[in-house]
Amino acid sequence: MIRYVIRRLLWGVVLLIVVAALTFVLFRVLPSANPALLRAGRDPNPGLVKNIEALLGLNKSLPEQFWDYMKEIFLHFQFGYSYYSQESVRSLIGGRLSATVSLTVGAAALWILGGMSVGVISALRRHKLADRLAMGGALVAISAPEFWLGFVFLLLFASDIGKFRILPGAGSYVGLTSDPWKWFTSLIMPWIVLAAGSAAIFARLMRSSLSETMGEDYIRTARAKGLPERRVVRHGIRAAINPIITLFGLEVGVLLGSAVLVESVFNIPGIGELNYKAIQQSDFPVTQGTVLLASLFIIVANIVVDVAYAYLDPRVRYS
Amino acid sequence: MRSIRTIVAVLAAALAGVALAACGSSESGAGAGGGKVSVLVPKGYQSPATESLSGKRGGTLEVLQEADFEHLDPGISYFALDYTEVFATQRPLYSNKPNADETVPDMAASKPEISANNKTITVHLREGVHFSPPVDREVTSEDVAYAIERGANPNVANPYLQTYFSSIEGMPHANGGPVKGIETPNKHEIVFHLTEPKGFFVAEALCLPLTAAVPKEYAEKFDRNKPSNYYAYQVATGPYMLKNDAEGKVLGIGYVPGKSATLVRNPKWNPKTDFRPAYLNEIDIKIGGTQAVIDRQVLEGSNVVQNEPVAQSAVKLAAEHYKSQLSLSPGAGNRYVALNNKVGPFKNVDLRKAVFAAIDRAALDRERGGELVSNVATHFIYPTIPGFEQAGGLNGPKLDYDEHPEGDMAVAEKYMKLAGYPSGKYTGTNTVQVVGASDTPEKEDAEIVNQTLKSLGFHTKLTLVEIATMYAKYCDAPKEEIEVCPTVGWIADFADPQTVLRPTFDGNAIVSTGNVNYGQVNIPSVNAAMQAAEAVQGKEARAKAWAKIDDKLIENAVAVPYDWEKAPRLEGKDVHGVAMLWNEGAWDYSFTSLK
Repeated sequence: MIRYVIRRLLWGVVLLIVVAALTFVLFRVLPSANPALLRAGRDPNPGLVKNIEALLGLNKSLPEQFWDYMKEIFLHFQFGYSYYSQESVRSLIGGRLSATVSLTVGAAALWILGGMSVGVISALRRHKLADRLAMGGALVAISAPEFWLGFVFLLLFASDIGKFRILPGAGSYVGLTSDPWKWFTSLIMPWIVLAAGSAAIFARLMRSSLSETMGEDYIRTARAKGLPERRVVRHGIRAAINPIITLFGLEVGVLLGSAVLVESVFNIPGIGELNYKAIQQSDFPVTQGTVLLASLFIIVANIVVDVAYAYLDPRVRYS
Repeated sequence: MRSIRTIVAVLAAALAGVALAACGSSESGAGAGGGKVSVLVPKGYQSPATESLSGKRGGTLEVLQEADFEHLDPGISYFALDYTEVFATQRPLYSNKPNADETVPDMAASKPEISANNKTITVHLREGVHFSPPVDREVTSEDVAYAIERGANPNVANPYLQTYFSSIEGMPHANGGPVKGIETPNKHEIVFHLTEPKGFFVAEALCLPLTAAVPKEYAEKFDRNKPSNYYAYQVATGPYMLKNDAEGKVLGIGYVPGKSATLVRNPKWNPKTDFRPAYLNEIDIKIGGTQAVIDRQVLEGSNVVQNEPVAQSAVKLAAEHYKSQLSLSPGAGNRYVALNNKVGPFKNVDLRKAVFAAIDRAALDRERGGELVSNVATHFIYPTIPGFEQAGGLNGPKLDYDEHPEGDMAVAEKYMKLAGYPSGKYTGTNTVQVVGASDTPEKEDAEIVNQTLKSLGFHTKLTLVEIATMYAKYCDAPKEEIEVCPTVGWIADFADPQTVLRPTFDGNAIVSTGNVNYGQVNIPSVNAAMQAAEAVQGKEARAKAWAKIDDKLIENAVAVPYDWEKAPRLEGKDVHGVAMLWNEGAWDYSFTSLK
């Protein structure tokens, strides 16, 4: 098992290097605009543009830039400086990491618990009212874009612009350490909005996987032997959960992508919002930093999923 | 000088995508040739031109803005949103009152003295103006000299220094050290020696934030960093300052990038030396979020304003239900269809006139929000800029292809025939490349222009790309030889018509990258007229000289102007917002108060 984990970790590092190289190509070699020109204002004279290129290190050859870039990332964990605020990207990301972690971890917990519970109930109450309601709701949640859903929630429940002013609205996020209660209440709507789509997918998948499992011969045998229904269901869930775990790894990427929109709608100063603004401004160092961090999250989540999968199904380790 | 463009893709969903700004004059009445701007705002709406400047002292204003500041260092700042903060904390030599007819002395004690040969400018400074803590001491002329000189420091790299101040002796080769043409004979006097007779124009540019004093002994160590991080430790001379600690550190305290900025009273500010009333005790700026949500929060909130152009949907909502909370500020720039004068079919002036006549400019205007937020343009110098009235005001020059905003195909046909197409339709084989932005309303504007070209018989290829790409890869790049850029525009840096026309239509200003003479207009007589007009002294005389150039540009149909923009802003119901007419109607924190 340890060798398997080490192998996965090494592949993760290789993948990170590849992603770093790709982001360099995307944002330095094929940029939509020369950042020095953007920074030089609207009547840029060639001398000023040259100065700014030197200031930003853009006057070096691409291989030199690539070497500096990789060296800074992997040896010093430095992503450079924002072309606009001139703030270190590492500190920009550091200042926003807790907000994004708060949002995504909470939403992930909600989606796993909510999605799986609804899926289990639906599977066990197939074609009953609860099942129909749950699956109907899931369809709505899958279909609703986060941006729209967030706006609807704000117009319904936000304390400043809502119809029923019961929850803190956009811009109310505070850090966990400064006011835990406010932190919690300010994240209720964002968590629900961010989790809704993934929870719905999980619920539908869990329902179909568990329904299939509950029809297996060994389940019938367990029942025939007089095993209590609760234990039968537990066995069924353990067998049905493998595809769900695989999906979790993939959904982390979707979650991070959706977090950009949710952070934007609810004005949560997180990494998604930072990335969104950086893309709009062609602020390449910030974009690179945030993309690399997101990649790191996804790679780590997939390693965790692989390890969990190997734990649940030992055949995986030997393949 | 800046075009209406991209940086502000953030605001792409907003009305005009405009976010760059200027200092300069405007007026509540006539004067200076900028026109009576109050008549451009429909009745019942607030206009900076008519807003009362009195208010109640005290309170904290909350500001919501989607975009972050770009540069808070007064030596780099060059953006409407940045100016809202910079002009509340810094005092350039000259500044505008929110609705002022022209700039007034700010750090300067009086109007600039310009020598008879137009080559020397002398400015006397106020006494008793102090830097905020931790510097605390009185501002001297050496601080103003250093502020301008550091603009040439590669670590600061001011974006407009060479555009406006290159005629100061020694400036073209300056690198941050002392500049020969800037003298400080005593603590309260600064003299600029020019190599060319451009004194009046350079004096006009002294209202730019680059001239706000910076204490050398304090800032020098920050300016040695690559890039300079003086912004993170900046000191103020205005009524407010970014909240800081004992060492002067602002970053993470008074300014948290992407999150917030907090302006508090500058304890060293002496109201007797300033024209700003500074009613508010504190300004809390929240950065981030989404415009659609912010607009609602402001319309329904207390003690809050939004400080960016407003989304079209919010303008409509405000116009219907919150009329008193909507401010409309004329003078937010022009927009035009750039036609390539150098290559392709539009080298032919009659073909350009035909396109001018055929385009339904009223429809283009409606796509941008109609009368509330724009006027149909008939020439390039826009309202609030001297020369607007002299160039024909709202109606513009009397030319048949300019007379019918809704388009006139009969006139278009006439010019098609004059161009050598007897059928009235283009029969050439060229495919005309039209490159527009993919955001709303730019996309719709591009489609209208494209359709018009087709109706004149042109084969077209319409490309819609992200707005930054539109400029950087196509419209700013002469080598791409794009025939039509339908949604370009311009905003002056200050209220002088030269800053509207020269960068955009002077043939000598064409460069290979970052070119803002989008149509590569290069008419020798116009270039010469611009050269001569640059040296003209006096506001009235300059207005007339540049209005004549504007006439000539329209006579040559170098491009098709279609929109003079008005910037909409929202305020909470209990805020008495005072907008800056010269800065796209952004709220002026030094004059805004709570009711």
